This record gives sequence, structure tokens and C-alpha cells, in this order.
Amino acid sequence: MAGTVVGEGLSIEGDLSSDEEVVVHGNVRGKLTTTDQVSIASGGVVQADVSGATVSIAGQVTGDVTASERVDLQTGGRLVGDVKAARFTIADGASFKGNVDMEM
Amino acid sequence: MAAVSLIGRGTVVRGNVRGDGSLEIQGRVEGDVTVTGDVVLGEEAVVRGSITGAQLNIAGTVQGDLRGTESLLVERGARVVGDLTSPRIGVAPGALVRGNVRTDGEAPLATPVARRPGLAAQPHRSAAPAARPAPVAAPKLEPVKAAPPPPPPPPPKPDEPDEPDADEMESEPPSAPAAKAPPPVVPALGKHAKAKKKRRDG
Repeated sequence: MAGTVVGEGLSIEGDLSSDEEVVVHGNVRGKLTTTDQVSIASGGVVQADVSGATVSIAGQVTGDVTASERVDLQTGGRLVGDVKAARFTIADGASFKGNVDMEM
Repeated sequence: MAAVSLIGRGTVVRGNVRGDGSLEIQGRVEGDVTVTGDVVLGEEAVVRGSITGAQLNIAGTVQGDLRGTESLLVERGARVVGDLTSPRIGVAPGALVRGNVRTDGEAPLATPVARRPGLAAQPHRSAAPAARPAPVAAPKLEPVKAAPPPPPPPPPKPDEPDEPDADEMESEPPSAPAAKAPPPVVPALGKHAKAKKKRRDG
């Protein structure tokens, strides 16, 4: 079970910081930070800078994404913002607009 | 699953949390929490802000108002500094609560209802203000026209000093009670009011 789950229909306006896994099915506006994994599920909407060890995106993200390990933009995922991570994958069918920096 | 949200014990939210569905908080929230579903606050959870939900189950620490539209249960070990409002409230032994507790209906409905009866229950006070408006309107018109009449009375007094005194003495008492009544009324009113209330209650 994920450490923190922002369920469908729930919205957080402000900073969310954690040291455990964060899964977003709902909305987050502000800032999303964790030292663990971040998953923006299909249907999840994040208007915030996101940072974590690994960030996987199947929903919508508007903001810069920073990961200490990797960022995975999955099918159906939409990302508008810059990505900073050593590893970055964009799946077929994903949408992305922004810069990539893989020099960590 | 989708409708259930969880803020883990390693998570801190600085901002407001709102939306549909239920929410379990094990971590820390610095902001208001407003959901349509139930809220469970774990033992180690800390919320600085108000919490609103259908059924609240509080075992953690809250610095803010709690409002359960259906029920509100403060568990043992919980620490709450704020007002509790809900149709059904439970506080377990071992819970710490500092604030007002209201078990009546929803606040917006209860507040005005409570105030209206309060005014109605104080006919004396309401009667006075009610009486003031009418006189005020009349005096404004009368004083100008009534002004002439006053002069006549004065002459008689100087003519018969003794009688005026008597008249004054007599006139004072009646006017005195009305004017003086209020001062003693303060303590007296309280007693009377209580007595009257008791009579009404009885």
C-alpha cells in the first residue's frame, strides 16, 4: 500500500512533501516532493513541480519534474515542463513538451 | 479504492485538502481539510486547521475546529484544541478536548435559531427598544408643538412654591420609579428575570 494516496475527487492546494511513496489519482496544485516514488495515475492532474526518486506519469502534469533516479512518461501521460533526471523514457502515445536534462 | 485517500505518516501537506470521498490521515496537515466523506485521523497524525467531513474519527492531534455533518468521535489519546460541532459527538475517556462542544444541528442553522429565541426570551429588553422607536418618532414631532405648553406650568410653580414642591414630590415619585427603576433593576431585573424564567419554565 502506498504511503500516501491522493484519491480521485480529492484535491490538495499547497505543498505536499513526503519520505514515502505518493500516488496521485486526484489533483495536486502547488508542489509535490518525496524522497521515494511518485506515481501520477491516469486521471490524476498535477499542476506543480514534482520531485522524487522515480516519477512515473500516466496522468497530466504541468510543471517541472526532477528525479534522482528516473522519470517514466507512460502511455496516455501528458507532461508540460522540464525534466531533469538521469534516465527518462517516453512511451508511445505519451505527450511531452519541455526540455530534458539528463546530466545529473 | 479510488475514492479513498491516504496521507501517510511520512507525508506533510502544507495547504488545504478538499474534495469528495473519504480521507485517512496518518501524517501531518497544515491547512484545512474539507471532504464529503469520512475522515480518520490516526494516533500520530497532526492537523493544524479545521476538519470537516461526514463522520470524523479523531485519534490524533488537532489544532482547529472539527465538524462532522453526521458524527464526530474523539478517541482515547486524541488531543483537540478547537470547537466540536456535530449532531452526534463522542469523546472517549483519555481524550483531551479544549473548546466548545455543540451537539445540535448544523452550525449555520443552529446559530440563528438560537439567537432568535434569545431575543424572544427577553421581552423586557425587547419591549424597551420596541417602545423607544415609537416615542422617538412622536417626540420629534411633539416637542416643537409641545414646546409652548411647558412655559405655562412654570409660572404656577413660582406663584405657589409650597404646592409645586408637593406636586414635585408627588410627581417625582411616579417619575422616579420609572427613572430610578432601571438602576436597581440591574440587580433586580436579574432576579426577576430568573424568577420569571423559572416561572415560565415551571
